[in-house]
Amino acid sequence: MIKMTLDMFLQHLTNGISLGSLYALIAIGYTMVYGILRLINFAHGDIFMMATYFTFFGVLFGGKWYVVFPITIILTALLGMLVEISAYRNLRDAPKISILISAIGASFLIENLAIVIFGGRPKAFPTIPLFTSVVHIRNISIQRLTFIIPVVTVILLLSLLYLINKTKTGMAMRAVSKDHETARLMGINVDRTISITFGIGSALAAVGGIMWGLKFPQIQPLMGVMPGLKCFIAAVIGGIGSISGAVIGGFILGIGEIMLIALLPSLTGYRDAFAFILLIAILLLKPTGIMGEKISEKV
Amino acid sequence: MKKRDYYLTAISLILLIGFIFYADNNMDAYMVRILNLCAIYTILGLSMNLINGFTGLFSLGHAGFMSVGAYVTAILTLSVNAKVQNFFLKPIAAPLSNVVWPFFPALLLGGALTALVGFLIGAPALRLKGDYLAIATLGFAEIIRVIFTNTQTITNGALGLKGIPAYTNLWWSFGIAIFTIVTMILLINSSYGRAFKAIREDEIAAESMGIDLFKHKVLSFTIGAFFAGIGGGLLGNLLGTIDPLMFRFTLTFNILLIIVLGGIGSITGTVISAFVVTIAQEALRFLDQSINLGFVVIPGVAGMRMVVFSILLMLVVLFYRHGLMGTNEFSWDKFLNVISMKKPLLKGGRK
Amino acid sequence: MEILRSDNITMQFGGLTAVKDFNLTLNKGEIVALIGPNGAGKTTAFNMITGVYKPTNGKIYYKGSEITHMAPYQITKLGIARTFQNIRLFKDLSVLENVLIANHLHIKSNVFEALLRLPKYKNEDRKMMRKSLELLEIVGLADEKHEKSSSLPYGKQRRLEIARALATSPELLLLDEPAAGMNPTESEDLTKFIRQIRDDFNLTIFMIEHHMQVVMGISERIYVFDYGITIAHGSPKEIQNNQRVIEAYLGVDENA
Repeated sequence: MIKMTLDMFLQHLTNGISLGSLYALIAIGYTMVYGILRLINFAHGDIFMMATYFTFFGVLFGGKWYVVFPITIILTALLGMLVEISAYRNLRDAPKISILISAIGASFLIENLAIVIFGGRPKAFPTIPLFTSVVHIRNISIQRLTFIIPVVTVILLLSLLYLINKTKTGMAMRAVSKDHETARLMGINVDRTISITFGIGSALAAVGGIMWGLKFPQIQPLMGVMPGLKCFIAAVIGGIGSISGAVIGGFILGIGEIMLIALLPSLTGYRDAFAFILLIAILLLKPTGIMGEKISEKV
Repeated sequence: MKKRDYYLTAISLILLIGFIFYADNNMDAYMVRILNLCAIYTILGLSMNLINGFTGLFSLGHAGFMSVGAYVTAILTLSVNAKVQNFFLKPIAAPLSNVVWPFFPALLLGGALTALVGFLIGAPALRLKGDYLAIATLGFAEIIRVIFTNTQTITNGALGLKGIPAYTNLWWSFGIAIFTIVTMILLINSSYGRAFKAIREDEIAAESMGIDLFKHKVLSFTIGAFFAGIGGGLLGNLLGTIDPLMFRFTLTFNILLIIVLGGIGSITGTVISAFVVTIAQEALRFLDQSINLGFVVIPGVAGMRMVVFSILLMLVVLFYRHGLMGTNEFSWDKFLNVISMKKPLLKGGRK
Repeated sequence: MEILRSDNITMQFGGLTAVKDFNLTLNKGEIVALIGPNGAGKTTAFNMITGVYKPTNGKIYYKGSEITHMAPYQITKLGIARTFQNIRLFKDLSVLENVLIANHLHIKSNVFEALLRLPKYKNEDRKMMRKSLELLEIVGLADEKHEKSSSLPYGKQRRLEIARALATSPELLLLDEPAAGMNPTESEDLTKFIRQIRDDFNLTIFMIEHHMQVVMGISERIYVFDYGITIAHGSPKEIQNNQRVIEAYLGVDENA
């Protein structure tokens, strides 16, 4: 282990919290879709990637960030809903393996379309000084972004929890995730509720994507693969289906990953494996995750 | 099997041997390479189909299995000189520097070690169901890949291995493919194979009929891993170079594509699909490159090929869920009926 | 001679108690019924006995040994077989395969011996085949042996489930609503059939049933559940005259 000053430790910690927030935002999308459809939306990471490209082109064509960001969020939400309609809607009653394959296929399709349309070479995400400029605290320099990310995440999370628990739409979402048929009988438009769920999850991923792009300015068509996988793992660790679980999982993963390399730099190559090892551990110890509940099957 | 079937199968085998002999001596290297790939993907497809199609386990870690087999076989068959050349960053771990094995034992050990890995992964992972199993196996495959990328003295890390002796030829690949097909047929038609299918159909009912779920899942998983390792070994000694990036999820996806198109749960389907898809992937390579029509050149679009295959997969899974063969298998009866164009009994045909 | 006994088994799902303090005794060769309104916990009791659920409290003994925490497949291997309320056949497989599979638990050959088709395995396979075909004859499904099991009409599917359970060579057979969906003639046949297999295969039979015709026709003893509690236990006559049972539920004969 390397020795570290308090300043360095704090710097790493804030980086970890930032990364954790990004993971949390994306993980929420996975957990919401799984909660409502019992489906791993493999395409979610690619939707996150598309958000970064929407912003890239928006700014490229001269848009100001405060215009481009909202448009990106809307477009990404629509994209998410489009994926649901085309790849998942008609397979709701099919054997589980079919919808899993469809999810994988959708993911590959989006990735390869991105390669075809945008080209495989990385592009530079726009730098917006308001966010990316650096502030100096004591001996360390931190980007403004590092503070903005967790704040935005918390605001969005609280808004989401309000939506889920205090609004009719939220209640519909909770009902549908318990039982499609009964929800339908109670007059809930199941299709619309599912669409909204995808829309919200994708919108959150879009915010995550924008902030990710600001923090790590290189974007390429396959950039969503690893974060997508990791964020799904975060959702599982927190308890798949639970929004607070996804957030907890995201932070555990983000902070853990940064602290691991900070304290044991020789293990940097294993950075990505950290998430997978955590995954295996939790699947063996408590498969339903930190906040998860057991779902029993009627025999 | 009826006597007639024995003769027909024997004749087909003789024809196949004749074809391989011809191809080996007369076809150009490009075609031979494609044929080898077809046979290897048959083996890989069958190994995945045993686990996913017949036993109904969502296993997405196949690339991990293949990498184990490929690396073991490659490391064992690389000549001492080639090893020195490859491991220039850090020398290969001492015991391995002088070890050079012939192809067949190397392949076998590759398969055996992969089976062991399958067993070790299966023991914890197969306690999980459905989606959880899927991501656990995916996770394990990624862990294997990361380990291989970081064990510089054994696998040469991210640099990969070059100069792997090209031992894979049509005799090996087709021979092992036939062996795999026969093994799968014998396995699936045995009591154990029926137990696998029962697990796929309804785990709770299977367990209530006395089937030890865990033991049988691990069995299926381990056997599948064995053949995946052999396939990986054959692939390494065909391509001549391997590196950890080759064994990403894309590879698993390709094999998944094959078994879905052919019909999950059909040996025949997988075999046909492996050939069709491998040839098609080569044939459609033109999509990625420029098409020169003489008077105009249509620029190639890199990645278009995969777009087409992704769309194909989606179409099949959305509209033709059962793939080409569903769960049906080849039988000489059906085949002869088809080619003699007899009307089926139900439609007024004669017996 | 006692073959199965449960001591105060209780099943709780979170705040809900599905079965409370169930004391069951089954003697060899008996036909005993478990009746009660829908949702009274009858199938839950079955699930506890067969190991699908682990009782929250209490113990279960089979032929003197405790089986409370054993896995379902182990319990089946000991000799307890069951059918399901919502038929759980292996849908995509043939009628014959469904029954063949239920023979697998007793196989002694390992997977290599099976792969190589060694004589040891081929012998076992032949015996499994013969036994399965016999069972299909007994339930009258021999002609449909190569049909996909999901293509059978409902009544035949129920018979197939019974044949499948019998293939595991049980001593104790648990039937979950075997007469569901049957008309009076079919119920009559079923009654005779159950008695016959009990005699021919030396079974003890414990069944959940709503058809009072069947229940009163062949049960030697009856347990009655209501909201998870055993509200009565006795001979058919005693149950028919039990005020509490009459109040809670005295089965509406669905086809009357």
